[in-house]
Amino acid sequence: MYGRITRWGSIVSFWVLLGIALAACAPAPTPVPPAEATPTPPAEEAPVTITVWDYYGEATPIEPLIAAFEAENPNIKIQYEPLDWDSINEKFVVAVSGGNSPDVVTVDMTWVPGWAPLGVFADLAPFAQGELNGVPLDEAFTAGQLESMRLGDQIVTMFYDFDVYSLYYRADIFEEKGLEPPTTWDELIQVGKQLAEDTNGDGRADRCAYLVAADTFHFSQFLFENGGSLLTPDNSAAAFNSPEGIEALRFYTDLILKEGIGMHWTEEDAVGGVKDGRICMFSDGPYYMGVLAAGAPEMAGKIRVAPHPGNVRPGSYLGGTGLSTPAGAPHPAAAWKFIEFAMRPENQIGVYTYAGAAPGLRAALESEEVNQPNEYLGGQRGLPVFLEATETAHHFPYVKQWAEIDEVIGAAVEAVLLEEKTPQQALEDAAAEVNAILSR
Amino acid sequence: METGTTLGAWCDGHNTRPLKCSERFPSASKMLVGSQVLRTFRKSYPGYVFIALPVAAISLFLIIPMVASFAISLTEWNGFQPPVFVGLQNYRILLLEDQKFRQAFFNTTLFVLLGMSVGPTLGLLSALLLNQNIKFRALFRTAYFLPVMTSLVVVGTVWRYLYNDHGLLNYLLSSLGLGSVRWLNAPNEILWGRLPLISVVVASIWQGFGFETVIFLAALQNIPKDLYEAAEVDGANRFQRFWHVTLPGLRPVILFVYIIGIIGSYQVFDQVYVLTLADFGPLGRTRTIVAYLYDNFFSYARLGYASAVAYSLFLILAVFSYLQLRFFSRQE
Repeated sequence: MYGRITRWGSIVSFWVLLGIALAACAPAPTPVPPAEATPTPPAEEAPVTITVWDYYGEATPIEPLIAAFEAENPNIKIQYEPLDWDSINEKFVVAVSGGNSPDVVTVDMTWVPGWAPLGVFADLAPFAQGELNGVPLDEAFTAGQLESMRLGDQIVTMFYDFDVYSLYYRADIFEEKGLEPPTTWDELIQVGKQLAEDTNGDGRADRCAYLVAADTFHFSQFLFENGGSLLTPDNSAAAFNSPEGIEALRFYTDLILKEGIGMHWTEEDAVGGVKDGRICMFSDGPYYMGVLAAGAPEMAGKIRVAPHPGNVRPGSYLGGTGLSTPAGAPHPAAAWKFIEFAMRPENQIGVYTYAGAAPGLRAALESEEVNQPNEYLGGQRGLPVFLEATETAHHFPYVKQWAEIDEVIGAAVEAVLLEEKTPQQALEDAAAEVNAILSR
Repeated sequence: METGTTLGAWCDGHNTRPLKCSERFPSASKMLVGSQVLRTFRKSYPGYVFIALPVAAISLFLIIPMVASFAISLTEWNGFQPPVFVGLQNYRILLLEDQKFRQAFFNTTLFVLLGMSVGPTLGLLSALLLNQNIKFRALFRTAYFLPVMTSLVVVGTVWRYLYNDHGLLNYLLSSLGLGSVRWLNAPNEILWGRLPLISVVVASIWQGFGFETVIFLAALQNIPKDLYEAAEVDGANRFQRFWHVTLPGLRPVILFVYIIGIIGSYQVFDQVYVLTLADFGPLGRTRTIVAYLYDNFFSYARLGYASAVAYSLFLILAVFSYLQLRFFSRQE
């Protein structure tokens, strides 16, 4: 017995010691230098290759820029790596923590609140010097966009495309029933009742419903519209459990539970429901014009967009895509050159023409190409509707625990939709959980 | 001691009672051991050369990451800033305070219990059927094994379509006038909120039981036929033959299937991720331990805590495997 223990002890000790010895010899994880340490941009005259990570997929507006950029900058070659939106987050965490950062990366603006406070992104302010392609930043972007690009004095990303929610609706059915898109919460219920059909008699809409999703994106729209906010101004505690928040959640979930005009949506996207008539109204961002056009071409001319019905005030979350440079990127100066190139108005128009999304740059948004009547929307000019919504939109709070908080809020909405908690209970419990997360 | 001889060599020929020479002369013992090691190494060094590469590969890709992961589990590290040593704090929070981990542990254990009750039983039943002289046996065997070879992501996607509100299952139920069921988003009132997890278990069993079928079938064909003949001569009926001949003959394979199955089931992730669109809902009711690990690592950037989750899973698996081995060795 003693011999066995000794033998096993020796084997385990050997591996542990070998592991520790090798681990000690191995280079330590490269800590990301704090973003404020970014030096004055050096001129990169020697030929360099920069790595660009792009999550746009087949409809990318970034890849078509590469040839022109390389022709204009013969010393900079681009190694282009297309990645999925679903997996870029994981790869980014692994690459940056392992010291293998790309130079330019497309980031969802909803990830920025969690990452930026950790010093993940290089400060672009020293490169930009207050301007983008010679235009002052406060002219290039709206105030809301500028706020979401900044962390303190730093600029952590460049708004490449924006996402705010407005109302998509089935114009053909509205026309058939002589309805106008709702502009207030009360009208939303009135219009919804004239649209929704309960075919199986369970008291809930199964055709032509308003889409209700258990996530922070959709709930925060109602929260903001009702004068509420997600966290306190200093981001130290939950604020969504205010009376405004509880009323907003009650209204949102009552669209299903009481009014019978909503449908609890759990499928991957709304396209299927729009196609088969289950969904007649839903809120989403400008990129959804492209998603619908690709996924439901037969619905061309039957869809329109309108401002989402508000209550106390209009409101939406503000997100989209940013172009960022990680703090550990090997060639930040060359990366900035590419970002600035991609942000030129003529190149930003590609965000709309290739991806069907809304360009982040104001000049591109106001351009003739982007403001052409949209055939899919029956000739309606869709982007101005979304642009108007950016004026009153709010980005998610910049706290490193945002991903966890986002999940807690989504679960609170779901608990009410599943009738396991009242809106007040759900938000009080969620607030306690969020406060514990924030105090960690 | 004769001059000109080493102490070790002298001791070789002078073992005494009650103490061995090496015990009376400890330095001689060391020399003796040293020379034995050297002799053994000289004899077998080609073997060491052959195993050097696998040992290096295992060290590099398994042992060192495991040791490093344990070191990380003692830190608070987000992957972007330098880690901070926190000792066993992650384990304390995880095991004593973390409700989500408890939920994930419960969900995973329920998944294992349901899956390992039905999966191997189905595998054994199908193997017993395929062990008969039936036509197209190879075809059936292939058909049962096909889902095992299919990617879990593909299987998850197919089952997600089946479970959709407007999927095939609900279409069939509606055709029978039974209404539709929210398979992956059922409220608490249906099966105490466990229907989503049960739906995942069903998809997993469908995908995996072909593996057990093939293993059991191979084992069944290795049981000597004369044992069955002897049992038949003794008047054993079909059930008695199964109970007294087949089951004991399958015992090592059953042990293998359960150990591998339980380890694999505790690591369930892919199908849950795909079926629930990565939110492990509703309300975390399909969140497994690995899903919680994934969330902590990739979504919350809590690499230290995620490593503690990984080590907790490792400990759980080690305990289960040890108990199983003890149980089966007692049975032997």
